[in-house]
Amino acid sequence: MLRNSKELVFAFLACILIAASYAAVVFYTNQIPAASELYGHTIGIIGFLLMLATETLYSLRKRSKKARWGPMAKWLQLHIFTGIVGPFMVLLHTSWKFNGLAGVTTLLTVIIVISGFIGRYIYTRIPRTADGIEDTGLVGQMQAGALANARRLMSLWHTVHIPLGIALFTAAFVHIIGALYYATLLK
Amino acid sequence: MNTPRIGCLSPLALVSAFITLLILIAAEIISGNSMFNPGELNAQAGVALGGVTSHSEIGKDCGQCHAPFWSGQTMSDLCQECHADIAQQIGDPTSMHGILSQGASKPCQDCHTEHNGPSASLTVMDPTDFPHDETGFSLFGHQVGADGQPFACSDCHVQGISTFDQQACTNCHRAIDMNFTVTHTHDFGESCLACHDGVDRYGDFDHSQVTFPLTGAHLQVNCSGCHIDALTISDLQNTPTTCEACHIADDAHAGKFGTQCGVCHNPSDWEDATFDHNLADFLLVGKHVDVPCESCHVSGYKGTPKDCYSCHAQDDEHNGAYGTACETCHNPSDWTDATFDHNLTAFTLTGAHVNVKCIDCHVNGIFKGTPQDCAACHADPAFHAGLFAGMACSQCHNTSAWGGASFNLAHPGACGEDVCINHEGATCRDCHTSNLAAATCLKCHDSNNPTDGGGGGDD
Repeated sequence: MLRNSKELVFAFLACILIAASYAAVVFYTNQIPAASELYGHTIGIIGFLLMLATETLYSLRKRSKKARWGPMAKWLQLHIFTGIVGPFMVLLHTSWKFNGLAGVTTLLTVIIVISGFIGRYIYTRIPRTADGIEDTGLVGQMQAGALANARRLMSLWHTVHIPLGIALFTAAFVHIIGALYYATLLK
Repeated sequence: MNTPRIGCLSPLALVSAFITLLILIAAEIISGNSMFNPGELNAQAGVALGGVTSHSEIGKDCGQCHAPFWSGQTMSDLCQECHADIAQQIGDPTSMHGILSQGASKPCQDCHTEHNGPSASLTVMDPTDFPHDETGFSLFGHQVGADGQPFACSDCHVQGISTFDQQACTNCHRAIDMNFTVTHTHDFGESCLACHDGVDRYGDFDHSQVTFPLTGAHLQVNCSGCHIDALTISDLQNTPTTCEACHIADDAHAGKFGTQCGVCHNPSDWEDATFDHNLADFLLVGKHVDVPCESCHVSGYKGTPKDCYSCHAQDDEHNGAYGTACETCHNPSDWTDATFDHNLTAFTLTGAHVNVKCIDCHVNGIFKGTPQDCAACHADPAFHAGLFAGMACSQCHNTSAWGGASFNLAHPGACGEDVCINHEGATCRDCHTSNLAAATCLKCHDSNNPTDGGGGGDD
């Protein structure tokens, strides 16, 4: 299972390293890093960029007809890796305060990550080649009912996951604008 | 299946973005800016400023503190619109905020924070990072409190961060050392900051670093023993350092030896006194070394006469006959070890006089006024038969011996120079066998008649 889920292992290791750096900051400053200070801001910005990459890169690759930079499976692995590590960093950026728009954005982030895990589960129900394309040979061996069910679930998931992601990024952009206005531009 | 646009630009995604925006705008309007509120404002009531007694009463009017960036105002400007007293402090270089800002426009939010909840502190400072030195009191000596725990601002600033009651010092230091603190405040008062600036621990004050190092018995003396009525650093520094300033009442000599106590005494003990008499004008040598001080310094040390006779008049075996300059003959080693160079007097000792006892001339031990003429000591011998009465012996004699006198006068009588004086080697006694008044030739000649021939001495 893990052999086929290297992205999960790497994401887990990355989260461990980030958590260790967070613990070190807590230990040396004796306080939770504020979202508006250097460390909190840094992990927030990097985490958001990773989430942005999660949202765009895989989708671009999937829909690109000309450029074929590597197999789709690799892009999906990157999508999952950044989709876990980015939100984890954003979670640490919150300084564990979940009120207001920031709290809503965090909630949406958590929902989209959970949705992502569900989507990956549904995705693996349909046999695929190394490029991520449905393996017609193996698909042909599936029971028609099960295949149709998996495809329906995948479609349904897409219908929910993408709008949720867009809602998340809309909230995140408003949050960023608010942070820029109240915490950066106002002195 | 593949489409030219990415998922986030699909109609469904755009609708989702639009709906989300609408929801956020609605939430912003309904909640009254709560959407961007990172946390509740402080609700601790204080003095009414700007129409409110706490920040929480400002409610959701973010613009009260957050001015639009295009307005040119800063958050600190808005803070000081309500907190006019702080604005005044910043302009006062002697106030806490004035000291800390040092004339620079330091943002209020560097030290003061908000949105941390109704009961959270509005002042968030790291005590170890706070430039407390700039307030005039360093925290160098106050790293931990009496309980061993790191200091919190409220430990000293009980009534508020910008006020300080020096009773806080006393309370804490009583817990550390009750006896010392009670004595110290009794001696020096309770205005701790008049002397202490926090740079040093005065409990470990190294007195050797100042101009008056403490040694000997001074180490046991309470500070107030010397620093009498000292209430400021200046008072402490101006404490006199002369011995008599503190010890005038201890002077067992009643001022007779002056005020330079350190010449004889040291701080260890009054009794442990030493005096190098050789530093004085009167060197102690010989038997003077062992003489008790009081023997000479009968009525005090200052002005003690240095001449011998002042002390030794009663010792004068000469009864003053030799005057009072004892040192002319004597030295401090021993009275009997006297030497006198008679040649320094008007009467030089030569010849047989050298070996004559002093007492032979200076009869009865009287030296002064001893006559220098020969006759005073030497009676005119019968041999002279009174012929030289009134004449000086030295006309014929010298001090080597009475004998061998040379007669240099005109010989009386009929004999001429050659007959009477240079009579072929004859001495006076060859002719004057009994005395000078009588003469005879018979000692050498057969007759007293020079014309008889009679044979000479060579016969």
